[in-house]
Amino acid sequence: MSRKLIGALVALGLSATVATAQEYPTKEIQGIIQWGAGGSTDTVMRSVTPHAEEALGGTVVMQNMTGAVGAIALNYVVDADADGYTVLMGAENPMLYKVMGLGDEDYSAFTPVNLLARGTAMLVANNDAPFDDYAGMLAYIAANPGELKLGATGPGGLPSVITAMMNTVEGELDVIAVPYDGDGPALTALQGGAIDVMPAVLGAAIEGIRAGNMKPILIFETETNSTLPDVQIATDANAAYATYLPWGPFFGVFAKNGTPDDVIEALTAAYATAAENQEFIDLMAGRGFTMMNISGEEASAFLTKWQQGTAWLLDDAGLTQASPEEFGIARPAN
Amino acid sequence: MAILTIFTQPQLLLLVGVGTFAGIYIGAIPGLSVTMAVSILISFTFSWDVYPAISLMVGIYMGGVYGGSRTAILLNIPGAPSAIATAMDGYPMAQKGEAGQAIGVTTVMSFFGGLIGILVLAVAAPFVADFAITFQPRDYMLLAVLGILLVGSLSSGSLVKGIFAGALGIAIGAVGRDPLTFAERFTFDLKLMEGGISFIAVMIGMFGVSEALQQLQNVNMKAVRQKIDKIVPSFGTVKKYLPLSLQTSSIGVIIGALPGTGGDIAALMAYDHAKRVTKNPEVPFGKGAMEGLVAPETANNAAVGGAFIPMMTLGIPGDAVTAIMIGALFIHGLNPGPMLMVDQPDMFWFIVGALLMANVFMLIFGLTGIKIFTKIVEMPRSIIIPLILLLSIVGAYAVNNSITDVYWMLGFGVFGYFMRHYGYPLGPVILGVILSRLLDDNWRRAIISEREDLGRFFEGIITSPLSLSLFIAVILIFVSQTPVWTAAKTRLFGKASS
Repeated sequence: MSRKLIGALVALGLSATVATAQEYPTKEIQGIIQWGAGGSTDTVMRSVTPHAEEALGGTVVMQNMTGAVGAIALNYVVDADADGYTVLMGAENPMLYKVMGLGDEDYSAFTPVNLLARGTAMLVANNDAPFDDYAGMLAYIAANPGELKLGATGPGGLPSVITAMMNTVEGELDVIAVPYDGDGPALTALQGGAIDVMPAVLGAAIEGIRAGNMKPILIFETETNSTLPDVQIATDANAAYATYLPWGPFFGVFAKNGTPDDVIEALTAAYATAAENQEFIDLMAGRGFTMMNISGEEASAFLTKWQQGTAWLLDDAGLTQASPEEFGIARPAN
Repeated sequence: MAILTIFTQPQLLLLVGVGTFAGIYIGAIPGLSVTMAVSILISFTFSWDVYPAISLMVGIYMGGVYGGSRTAILLNIPGAPSAIATAMDGYPMAQKGEAGQAIGVTTVMSFFGGLIGILVLAVAAPFVADFAITFQPRDYMLLAVLGILLVGSLSSGSLVKGIFAGALGIAIGAVGRDPLTFAERFTFDLKLMEGGISFIAVMIGMFGVSEALQQLQNVNMKAVRQKIDKIVPSFGTVKKYLPLSLQTSSIGVIIGALPGTGGDIAALMAYDHAKRVTKNPEVPFGKGAMEGLVAPETANNAAVGGAFIPMMTLGIPGDAVTAIMIGALFIHGLNPGPMLMVDQPDMFWFIVGALLMANVFMLIFGLTGIKIFTKIVEMPRSIIIPLILLLSIVGAYAVNNSITDVYWMLGFGVFGYFMRHYGYPLGPVILGVILSRLLDDNWRRAIISEREDLGRFFEGIITSPLSLSLFIAVILIFVSQTPVWTAAKTRLFGKASS
């Protein structure tokens, strides 16, 4: 073999290596959405990703993979190669899989590409409920123990966390928790009078409130909410809520740990640009979401704090299958 | 008027047409569902304007609900859950060489049902929606009990075998993590059981694979020659079924508008209703009765309009497809909810117009090409059986992109074959799976709401007019199926009822 040929082969090999590194993505990226089509995770991801595709110069094929509170999708991505061609598009739920006994993996197996936005939790009541504010609700519960029907969505869902928060802050509230499949069906039931109060994400309730089909009671934030400025905030009602707030369900894009740094960088840059798109920001504001658009260390810190606070809250309420301690989730410092 | 938008823009008209055409074929293939097609369209139409995107989705929805009847009639394999009842009388007709006629009646009646659904949506949406949300958990539970009582209608032959099949269906529906508490049920600690058993996989297996296995027994049997001269039903025929179809369409609209139930339950309830009110069918039910086609097909297409009612007036989806369409509206910058009708009345009227147009296209595409379709039944079995198996596998995989579902499908296919062999009806199994969660979840919600006090639970039923009517309906239907009733009737009226 001539030297020339070897030289050419080496050069070809080198250029090929350089090319793969530079040209990510060289093929379609699979985006696995943890929740079903039309749900809030789905709509957020389908709204932001086209802008990320533009920034990335590639195609992201999104696919809904539902089941087991999103664990099926998470495990699918964990089992895929850490090459950045399979990314997870999920919500907050995996942070509770371990303590709820739903799975052995959570976002600690992933590198956050972008935590896009956070939802705000609030209490809404049926229009015929005999109270109009938070203090009135507490007084009604005290006067009528075991009568108020509070909507729920199963252990680990937003209503269970909010209920645990209220029980911790206000002392045990004697209410009936009626479980539904999700906040959509529960809010329908609220309007029909099957339940009296529902802890829901602001985005899901906002249109019903605007139309006067349900009344807002309390917003779980530390600052006045710009969408509903007249509604009382939790820390004004009881300062003890400050320990747990701000809290809310969130949406993020994740790549498996071990994905090459340059790939993570490319993805992070693309989604950061996409999250700044005005159209997307307007869309999120319309649904009452708070934009976060964070990645790297900042995102990891957020995840840790979220997991510690929520897992211990649920554990103290006796809703967990295993103590957070078993998984090295430290109790949050106040 | 925004209702006319669709008619004045050829591009939108074309999209509705294309959607309807595609919908008919998507609906006809078991496993390819409208829900799936519409969710794929969400990404596909992301960059479009909202009207074209909605046009395409509405077309696919309308066409797809109708398309499910095609394979039900021709191959005894319902293309969608809402066509299960259609197979019961449609396939016997095809076996007698009347497939063309069956499809003709189905098409015209689907059009009629669709029309009623759209009409109710257009003129009475707010009222129907207000009525629909008053349904309490106990009402959904009673509705599910009413549904369970259909087992009698769906079992030709032994009622005991029908009840067994129905109970099996309910058990299948309960497998997996309980959505209310996340407790595992019947999972045997297996990961693959945690997500439950896909109901579509059960349906495809029970109807598709078991049908293929059944046909394999007489693989050389000559196919029935199909009569294709009288496809479009005469005016007289349509007129004859008009009263029945008005009743079954109403069932369709209401069941479709309820946020917890959809076209599948509507079609089964309508079938049962037809069986009750038709005193002397020309051909017995289960052997190719025209009424058995008219009822489910009017009901499931009427349910389309019904499902849009809570979606447009309250932002609450009436079924899985409208749930995805709500997501689509959101992505296109609209805020679907109770204010949509106030802020964007054009959108409401546009959808009404698009549905109307899709319904017309459905009639046109449905009535043309029937001759070619009926040839499918005349194909040699050595070609059709592998084709059925292939479609079943693709369909089962496509539901969740899961190979586990394919195994379930094949397993239930073999099981279904033996069930047929020993005279166990398959319809009740699917009925059980459909109703399992509706019954279970709502019973628990109802009794939890009453602090687990049976006294308070019955008090609630008696004090609510809606619950009381449903409760009385359950009692009457139940009693009317017992020997006591037949005996009493004989004594009173002096003749035995059929």
